[in-house]
Amino acid sequence: MASFRSGLTQWARKRSIWVFHVNAASCNGCDIEILAALTPRYDAERLGVELVPSPRHADVLLVTGTLNPLMRDRLKTVYEQMPEPRHVVAIGACALGGGVMKDCYNVGHGIDAAVPVDLYIPGCPPRPEAIIFGILKLVTGTPDPVMAGEAHVG
Amino acid sequence: MTPVQLAELLLFPGLTFFVWLAFLFEWLERKTAARMQGRLGPVVAGPFGILQPVADFFKLASKEEIVPSESDPFVLRWGPALYFAAPAIGIAFIPVLGYQSVLYHPLDLLFMFFVLGFSTLMAGLLGYASAGRYATIAMGRLVVQYTSYEVPLLISMVTPAVLAGSLSLQGVAQAQAPLWYIFLAPMAFAVFILASLAELEKPPFDIPSASTEIVGGWMTEFSGNALAYVKLTKNLSYVFLSALAVTLFLGGAGGPVLTADSDVQALAYVCYFLLKLFAVGFLIFAIKTGLARVRIDQAAKVFWTVVTPLSLAQLALVILLR
Repeated sequence: MASFRSGLTQWARKRSIWVFHVNAASCNGCDIEILAALTPRYDAERLGVELVPSPRHADVLLVTGTLNPLMRDRLKTVYEQMPEPRHVVAIGACALGGGVMKDCYNVGHGIDAAVPVDLYIPGCPPRPEAIIFGILKLVTGTPDPVMAGEAHVG
Repeated sequence: MTPVQLAELLLFPGLTFFVWLAFLFEWLERKTAARMQGRLGPVVAGPFGILQPVADFFKLASKEEIVPSESDPFVLRWGPALYFAAPAIGIAFIPVLGYQSVLYHPLDLLFMFFVLGFSTLMAGLLGYASAGRYATIAMGRLVVQYTSYEVPLLISMVTPAVLAGSLSLQGVAQAQAPLWYIFLAPMAFAVFILASLAELEKPPFDIPSASTEIVGGWMTEFSGNALAYVKLTKNLSYVFLSALAVTLFLGGAGGPVLTADSDVQALAYVCYFLLKLFAVGFLIFAIKTGLARVRIDQAAKVFWTVVTPLSLAQLALVILLR
């Protein structure tokens, strides 16, 4: 019975991935790509990925941007509002290490200075396939690359 | 209560049956919305993604449950159970196997009024007890919307009862054997569907849970198990209201008698019921996907100046021509 329950939980967690998106001083390039991943062309809902309005509902936190000092505490607050098990995905060059704005006076060196990051998706901006593939790899471990591509409506 | 009655109450056609229908309804809703938007919708969880709501439920149930520091932990702990209890009791009065329901009372239509009101009361209480800013705003909107749609909803439910001369769901369903009340009182059916959209917080009346305005509405602060049950209850209410529409306006589970064998005929009745239920469900899905949200003052205005007079006119018409 206990193994059935843990098996059920693992099955459910791999197929239901609710994401919350935080724009930590991004130029909006990566955010547009996240939107592309969620909207009809790539339709991440196929894989159980859903954008939720509150961090308390979320499993995965998608963070884009350079994380300037204004956003650091706010990002931490959002992260702390999420229930366990939770994951953080850093999307785009800026979230990974500051990107093209690296040496500016108000730019941090990646969001892992504020919250523990589980997965880095590089790119300026990364393609929607890369974002979906990354989220799936984080949650399921063995994603199908075909499923991360465009949705084909018959 | 005999073991057979208990099994009917908990398994078929009672709670378990309707909970699986609730999961199926969410899947159908998401698939319909996806197809109307040129998407695929869920595909990986089970065949055609049919187990997507089940996966969502068990994932949420396995997550950590956060109790905000300013909230009322007692209400947050037991509130979702009471909220779930409202439609879970209500569905037991719906006749599914022919004209027989699991629980019966000569005045059970009045009890449905209580169930619908209690469900909204619990939603408001849960939002208020979670002490979030957005949840409090949502609760205010919920109360305003409730005062607008409840009157036409109840009047539209009374209309079939007047036509049938009975205040029990079984009696109303049985009286429709010659002619469904959707043909005798079409305006009451339209009012019922509109008010159901408001009760279920679906577009164009999803004002209390408007995610582009007030985050998650009154569910903003919920997480884990509580959120799993709140979401399941919303889907169960969906099925419950559709089943009420079927019982009050579409002749319940009634239909042509195919065989003299009562067991086979019971199966046919369940099929009729499900067909009608999905027809009402698809009507609501289509309205919900096709329309945008109205403002709270517009909703109140529409309900008080158009929908309520319409339902009263229909009731007067029915009483005069009866």
